[in-house]
Amino acid sequence: MTCDSVTKLIPLYYYGELTPEEEDLFDQHLHECAVCTAEMERQRVLAAALDVRRLSPPPLLLEGCRADLMAAIAGGAPAIEKAAKGPWTLFLEALNLSFAGFGKMRQPAGALALIAIGFLAARFSGSLIPFASNGFRSMSLSPADSILSTVRSVKPDSAGRVQITVDETRRREVSGRLDDPDIQKFILAGSRGENAAVRVEAVGLLRNPGDSPQALDSLLNALANDPNDGVRLKALNALKPLAGDPRVSKTLSQVLLSDTNPAVRMQVIDLMVARRDDATVGVLQNLVQREENSGVRLKASNVLKDWNASIGTF
Amino acid sequence: MAQEAAGTVGARLSPHVDALIRAAQSGDQDAFEQLVRTYDQSVLRLAMNLLRSPEDARDVYQEAFLRVYRNLHAFRFDCSFHTWLYRIVTNICLDLLRKRKVRKEEPSVVETSDGPIDRLDTHEEGAAAADPERAMWNRELKQRIDGALGGLTPRERMVFELRHYQGLRLRNIGEVLGTTEEAAKNCLFRATQKMRGVLGDFL
Repeated sequence: MTCDSVTKLIPLYYYGELTPEEEDLFDQHLHECAVCTAEMERQRVLAAALDVRRLSPPPLLLEGCRADLMAAIAGGAPAIEKAAKGPWTLFLEALNLSFAGFGKMRQPAGALALIAIGFLAARFSGSLIPFASNGFRSMSLSPADSILSTVRSVKPDSAGRVQITVDETRRREVSGRLDDPDIQKFILAGSRGENAAVRVEAVGLLRNPGDSPQALDSLLNALANDPNDGVRLKALNALKPLAGDPRVSKTLSQVLLSDTNPAVRMQVIDLMVARRDDATVGVLQNLVQREENSGVRLKASNVLKDWNASIGTF
Repeated sequence: MAQEAAGTVGARLSPHVDALIRAAQSGDQDAFEQLVRTYDQSVLRLAMNLLRSPEDARDVYQEAFLRVYRNLHAFRFDCSFHTWLYRIVTNICLDLLRKRKVRKEEPSVVETSDGPIDRLDTHEEGAAAADPERAMWNRELKQRIDGALGGLTPRERMVFELRHYQGLRLRNIGEVLGTTEEAAKNCLFRATQKMRGVLGDFL
């Protein structure tokens, strides 16, 4: 082996991707060549340095993702498709046949007609795709569930057929009691949705975070990560009865030192007062040292004074 | 679709996972949930490491498993489920990485009035925090590593991620990415060379 060929094999050697024969030749060369041995060492240092940047997902993220996914599926994600032709396929086939006599015009005419259908008749009633059975027992569903359709692409081929991509979103209304577990599943999904107004409403409606780990996760997640101030304040409010819980207390400490909104930080202090221990004292002392907002600083100082704790850390 | 390109090579599934897939294919929601829980930690870790953003990792998770849910009926057991799933996940991640190449990527280290803060740091490094010189060196190293990783093409980044952080063999990486083992080897070599170039004086 030459130095040039060894250089190309260094990463493969490091990751154990050489054949035994290649590895023997590689080792043999390293024994005889100080330059390549140094290069090999650099590869090890590079790998060790890169390990420093290995990231682990935040602990709450996995549970949040699972809740989102199951809520999306329960809320009507298109289920495993069946092989049988659906009404949409049958409709397209019928349409294709109806253009059979148009000769050369049929492809563009068919495509244009379908684009028009996609944009003008965006709403369809009834179920076009079989949906998952979700077993809702205690909720009432609106009888006229609708599917919003948008045609994304239309591709005619030379055989006179056309391939159409359609995005479909199903919309329906559900209603039920707030303590209904199925309703709470939807509220959980809403608390993690894209629309901030929905999140504000949903976070305020989550019930029994003390008994439901998913509701607690959702509230903690909203408090720690939601970009909307209103959602974070609602989450704080909902967490009030659990301020003494160790997980809540830990998140409150993190939020107090990282939240950008002084109103949120003020309310966090109110909740932290419920748990007087060394860790809370330490967090408040830390806050007093770094807090820019005078109101928040004063509030934290007053709590420490009430507890006869020193204002600063030494 | 990913399943159309399914390779013939790939570890067969354990009987347990095999049974879960078949049950989920026949509409058993509990089996689908168990199947998700078998693989979702590694999917989330992959997305988090590649995209370095919890928000993007969450989107990838949701999109990937919804695609699995919609297309599981078409899984024919002609490759391992892991390979099939990772094809879906890597496709979504590659799309996001390519989009990011177009718009400017957000740096992970931001300047604040308290000095530079790394948004990705999830814990304090005790020894480094006590030693300002070491903390500064660590910070600079992290920035350089981010720069080095950011300088890779999406495909190089993916191959490196799957080999270095996820521990997949290059043969499997080739299957997942729909390419040859040889192409994956070349990609890994290019990625390593680029990073050594950027990190030069740190090594």
